[in-house]
Amino acid sequence: MPSAATENHFRRSSYPSILADILYAHPHHHPAAMSSSSPPYRLSPLATLTPASTSRTWLSAPHPTLPLVATATSDKSVRVYSLTTFTLISSIAGGHKRSIRSCAWKPNTRGESVLATGSFDASAGIWRRAENDAAVEEVDFTRRGARGDDSDEEGGDEDEWQFSVILDGHDSEIKSVAWSAGGQFLATCSRDKSVWVWEEIDEDSFETIAVLQEHEADVKCVAWHPMEDLLASGSYDDTIRLYREDLDDWTCVAVLSGHKATVWCVTFEPSGLKVLESDDMAPERREVLEARKKGGPRLLSSSDDQTIRLWRRKPKDTPAPPTGQGRMPSIIRSNSIEEDWFEETQLPQRHSRTIYSVSWSPISGMIVSTGSDGKIVVYKEQWRDNSGPRTAMEPLNTAVQDQPEAVVKPVASTEWVVVAEVEASHDVYEVNHVCWTKRRDKGRRSEDEEIILSTGDDGEVKVWTLETE
Amino acid sequence: MDDIQNSNPTVLPSSDLPSRRPASPTTHHPSRGTGLFDSLVPAYGYPYDPFLPKSPSASSDDEDDDEIPDPIDAQEIYDLISTITDPEHPLSLGSLSVVNLPDITIIPPSSPASRISTVQVLLTPTVTHCGLATVIGLGVRVRLERALPPRFRIDVRIKPGTHSTAEQVSRQLGDKERVAAAVENATLMAMLKKMLEGCD
Repeated sequence: MPSAATENHFRRSSYPSILADILYAHPHHHPAAMSSSSPPYRLSPLATLTPASTSRTWLSAPHPTLPLVATATSDKSVRVYSLTTFTLISSIAGGHKRSIRSCAWKPNTRGESVLATGSFDASAGIWRRAENDAAVEEVDFTRRGARGDDSDEEGGDEDEWQFSVILDGHDSEIKSVAWSAGGQFLATCSRDKSVWVWEEIDEDSFETIAVLQEHEADVKCVAWHPMEDLLASGSYDDTIRLYREDLDDWTCVAVLSGHKATVWCVTFEPSGLKVLESDDMAPERREVLEARKKGGPRLLSSSDDQTIRLWRRKPKDTPAPPTGQGRMPSIIRSNSIEEDWFEETQLPQRHSRTIYSVSWSPISGMIVSTGSDGKIVVYKEQWRDNSGPRTAMEPLNTAVQDQPEAVVKPVASTEWVVVAEVEASHDVYEVNHVCWTKRRDKGRRSEDEEIILSTGDDGEVKVWTLETE
Repeated sequence: MDDIQNSNPTVLPSSDLPSRRPASPTTHHPSRGTGLFDSLVPAYGYPYDPFLPKSPSASSDDEDDDEIPDPIDAQEIYDLISTITDPEHPLSLGSLSVVNLPDITIIPPSSPASRISTVQVLLTPTVTHCGLATVIGLGVRVRLERALPPRFRIDVRIKPGTHSTAEQVSRQLGDKERVAAAVENATLMAMLKKMLEGCD
């Protein structure tokens, strides 16, 4: 690698000055952009899952309980790797006629693993494999992993995966699949602009319970709320839409506008995060968290507009109007299932191209993002230091915005800071997906240690650790 | 697609097409140096500008020649895509002026730590309502994806104002999923294969 400084200097001098200003007006060149108040972390490569695919990999879904990860691959297969040995266990193939774009494990299954796949062939597949006792599984993986190393083709294991159901209905490529938190519903979305909700009737049959045609263009992603049967979808039409069931009918309950380009990924805040809490918390901070709790988990989205936005729901049951105007007849309001979501904040802007994927850790509360620029960026939420003079902008983003202006009291708010960043995480390739999962290999340092999995155009799934420096 | 969209296109003689071999080493290329907007055209490919005489006086220090082992410049991009055949005429995109050298820009990495460069190609459809603009754009994108090293991001767009749905088509061409799915479409690929036959 030649001296970067020299190369950079040369470029600077050979560009017309205006162009150079545009090209180099980039966060990288401002060392202060990374907050100094947050503890420094370092993203380090731990392993690459082997053998890697020879074609583009789109997404990796960690199993909800077992140390497994399923990787959707453009060679029409799903590769199942062990997270204890980081080797290939089996390859699920033969079901789809085109690229498998997405896959998702059904949560809360007993005695079996159930995987849903979404393909460019416009169909979704349901695959099953019987699972034994977890301890036996663990031993089994090591053996199979070792065998997998010997042969290039991972034959012999496919038969244990039973292709159970094919879900037909979409007119064109399926882009994303997602199970509801309880596992009762499966959502699929497609370039055909629709979102479908399927319900499992019994082991081998699914019923279409909703076809939602709210978007004006390709639907890129779907995600479920962690506690409620609330579904979110992001689209090529730049919007996010939320749906829930109302008297047997699924309807759109909110439209979130703000992104200026295709929304590539949506995901909800995991439930039960307590990272901002502490026993000796100031009352104003407690108040912020209480207000936030009423709205429930927030929604995170990433886009081709190179932003990551955080959306919050306004709590429904607002206290009765304080003024004595009597009871306002609010029949429409109380019966409405519409929800009021607003953009709470944007994360620091670090990506220079489309942000394909964001993931929110259920343990640390940190967010990780990746995209076309090949970067992996980790963000952390922290309390903003409000010792200085308050700015006029602050009340907008805090819970006290409804307070009468005359009441002067301390204001608490949070901010997101970048705590770690890796450039060229998959060499020069684009990275299509990133997610958090628990570390399961021998080297793990605690029960709760997490790793980050990144999935790239180079066919590789990489494992990263986040260490405090 | 039964009706030919542009039955009488303007065709440039091959001698007028940009190439790496100008009449004399000191003569600037016809597509540059004579236009009104020359000053607006960025000096793309700066360290390896093909039009810059390779004399010691022009390159202030020699190190730039050694540093970048495989320079790719706008002319090279032009050579890769100008030979693509138009889907409805047996003519090349270069001769139809759908692909033009000044509309090819190479944007260097956005930070010193990055090796990712961007190739931006603006296409000029032969007629403003050309229904084949998307297919042509796809052909250009696929051609460059196959020919260029993976450190290049490829942005193929329709030149603003040259097509009734320029923005829409550009957006489709920029969508990785759509492009990936299109490449798996047999009908579309048969069409692209024909268009790319003329390339090496």
